[in-house]
Amino acid sequence: MYMKHLFTLLLSIFSLAGFGQQKVFATKTGQIFFNATGGIEKIAAVNNQTDSKFVDQTGQMIFAVLIKGFKFENQLMEDHFNENYMESSKFPKADFKGFITNIKDVNFSKDGTYPITVDGNLTIHGVSNKVSTTGTLVIEGGVPEINGTFKVKIKDYGISGMYIGDKIAPDASITVKCKYL
Amino acid sequence: MKKIILLALVFILALAGGSYYYVFIYSKNRKFDMAAAEAISIDATALVKAFQENEANANKTYLDKVLLIKGTVSITAQNQTGEHTITLSSEDPFAGVMATLDSTETKQVKVGDNIQVKGFCKGFLSDVVINNAIIADK
Repeated sequence: MYMKHLFTLLLSIFSLAGFGQQKVFATKTGQIFFNATGGIEKIAAVNNQTDSKFVDQTGQMIFAVLIKGFKFENQLMEDHFNENYMESSKFPKADFKGFITNIKDVNFSKDGTYPITVDGNLTIHGVSNKVSTTGTLVIEGGVPEINGTFKVKIKDYGISGMYIGDKIAPDASITVKCKYL
Repeated sequence: MKKIILLALVFILALAGGSYYYVFIYSKNRKFDMAAAEAISIDATALVKAFQENEANANKTYLDKVLLIKGTVSITAQNQTGEHTITLSSEDPFAGVMATLDSTETKQVKVGDNIQVKGFCKGFLSDVVINNAIIADK
């Protein structure tokens, strides 16, 4: 009888604490835009196969992309991006691992646009750097979408090339748009 | 002397024109003929297993190559830009082959169909990722 009460008590505590209610949102078709236009010529690409997950209770998040999956309007530019700058055969992936630090401010059961702050490590070209940025988490019909833009210094990631600082901007703009269907 | 300068100018202009055409027109509009391309044939399970067992080796063999992948459709969907995607299942329920179809592909498939997908291998995340894909055989 004592054991039965103990079990019921433990079950209640775990339920109140939300134990087991954690939800992982995932997508394999998120978008990441890259723009490093430094001159007249547009140097921009999109990756439509971004793999991303985040946890609603802790804010833990991950984004991963394949460098060869970035599409440029100009095929020759895409080839240069992969071969001369990103060395994508040697470093085929880039990822971001971190946390939404104010996830508790997001009400997943109420539609709206929630400002978020994100901290984590961005790894590009085999080099990791800390990144802190802001963005929004939009809830629409229970479906979350994470949006945000931040800048990275290309040279901080060990990427070199003769046009960086000229035709290629020294700071690339990275835009994230991931809908977790 | 004038003739040499004139010839040099014509040569420089032709070179500049050719370079402009190659970089800004030809490269921008060049369309790869996926249907006619030579491909490495493999089934979805073997491809996923190759990446799971040794990703570096699999990248050396398959990255940016045209693959002809045989498998069973487990998911059909659309990405955020409306492009159609097909996932072929493997023996591992958590990993498959996800192909984003080329905008010119009009063939329809449904879950459970045994098909062959042809496209560029871009590497491995949760699934093996294939781009510019066409449905080679239904």
